[in-house]
Amino acid sequence: MIRLENVSMKFNLGIERNFSFKQAFIDFFAGKKKKKKEEFWALKDISFSVKKGEVIGLIGSNGAGKSTLLKVVSGVMKPTKGTVSVHGAISPMIELGAGFDSELTARENIYLNGSILGYSKEFIDEKFDDIVEFSELKDFLDAPVRNFSSGMVAKLAFSIATIVNPEILIVDEILSVGDIKFQEKSKNKMLEMIKGGTTVLYVSHSLESIQELCDRVVWIEHGQIVKIGETKELCQEYYKKQMGRELKSKK
Amino acid sequence: MQKAKNIILNFKKYSFLMRQLITRDFKVKYKRSVLGVVWSLLYPVLMMAVMAIVFSQMFRFQQEGVSYLVYLMTGLIMFQYFSEATNNAMVSVVSNFALISKVYIPKYIFPIAKCLFVGINFILTLIPWFILILLTQVGLGEYPASINWYYLLIPYIFFCFFLFTIGIGLLISCISVFLRDMFYIYGIILTIWNYFTPVFYSLEILPVKLQMIFKFNPLYQFITAVRSIVLYGARPSFTTLGIIGLIAVGTLALGSYVFKKNQDKFIYYI
Repeated sequence: MIRLENVSMKFNLGIERNFSFKQAFIDFFAGKKKKKKEEFWALKDISFSVKKGEVIGLIGSNGAGKSTLLKVVSGVMKPTKGTVSVHGAISPMIELGAGFDSELTARENIYLNGSILGYSKEFIDEKFDDIVEFSELKDFLDAPVRNFSSGMVAKLAFSIATIVNPEILIVDEILSVGDIKFQEKSKNKMLEMIKGGTTVLYVSHSLESIQELCDRVVWIEHGQIVKIGETKELCQEYYKKQMGRELKSKK
Repeated sequence: MQKAKNIILNFKKYSFLMRQLITRDFKVKYKRSVLGVVWSLLYPVLMMAVMAIVFSQMFRFQQEGVSYLVYLMTGLIMFQYFSEATNNAMVSVVSNFALISKVYIPKYIFPIAKCLFVGINFILTLIPWFILILLTQVGLGEYPASINWYYLLIPYIFFCFFLFTIGIGLLISCISVFLRDMFYIYGIILTIWNYFTPVFYSLEILPVKLQMIFKFNPLYQFITAVRSIVLYGARPSFTTLGIIGLIAVGTLALGSYVFKKNQDKFIYYI
């Protein structure tokens, strides 16, 4: 389903500064020689493949490159080197509610966001009630999203994103959305999709939910794969490395 | 061939998104305004009224033998469309950054949606424009405008004008991603362009040498073609119509090429 071969991703940290007269002026008088390009490899030589129906967890500390990896897979970024091949429709949930217009009502935003995710009008018409029902926002349908609380926005976004049964689901730390009740509900929804054969790439810092959901885990550090392997072992190893003590198993 | 097929498929796939973006713009634009979409009709009329008073009454501009009001309004609505559409298109990519960095969407959708959105407004402004033409028939102003079969050519001219606008829109939206200064620079370019396009004056008041140079202005070509039909009842020559088509296709090709070449780099600069 998903296949990454030697994927590397380079960011140019200098971009922000090099591009102004002010900086050029300062550099000129400071007598600075042309400085070396500050390069940063967010991903280095990543290769792995995901089979259909597999649930892969990505772990690693902040800035390890997990989100960049998701962006590369979802096509938002093109890798500097290497190839990514993806077969199947992707539903990205990288950040919920990115496509909302705060001036529009919830109803209008369902259509707007749905179209951004690539749904057709007929499809949204058909699923509209399900989306509203799941989001628990029936009473606020015609209120502008501007007035929503962040939890409400997230609920709405989650409901729109998960209404399809995508072949591939990309999830970046979203099970912490909404109140406890909704968290439970969204987790169940995820489980239901996984059972339905959806391939999932899942990023989370909650080892608990990783252990619960994932078949395999990819551990990334400094843009490189540390290890790929069985969920439980790797989670324990990761926890030990990070915290210096054993991860207590729930069971 | 395959490529052309892909482009068409993509257009189909994203046409709903395009429509959503355009409706969004409409809704947001007229939110909380009492007159709402009526402004699309009213605004050009009022603008023209102001300009007409300033230029025909104060500066005594006029066009020998033709209706100055129609002359003015034709140039005005066309330039207004061009400047508004390109301006909106320019910021569209940068202002939709939140989306672009999270979901894969073909990025050309944003500038094109803006050109279409302003285009719909433009089509609405054609209503008061045509009413004005009718009014000159019954004695508004000194001379009547002409109504004739060559009007059928106007959609072709507007279509080319639209393609030209998209081309420029793609080009500057791409540049502005890398060079945010473009927002300011383009404002100045538009002002200069406005004065160098015979919107309220006629080219004949300039020295002959300058006239030649002014004719290289694509906007002049578009506006003049429409004016010659509406004011003089004359068909623009086939050369003119051909040139208009070439300008449109050429600009669109240039804009698309530059945009396509650079679109993968956008994400690092926004």
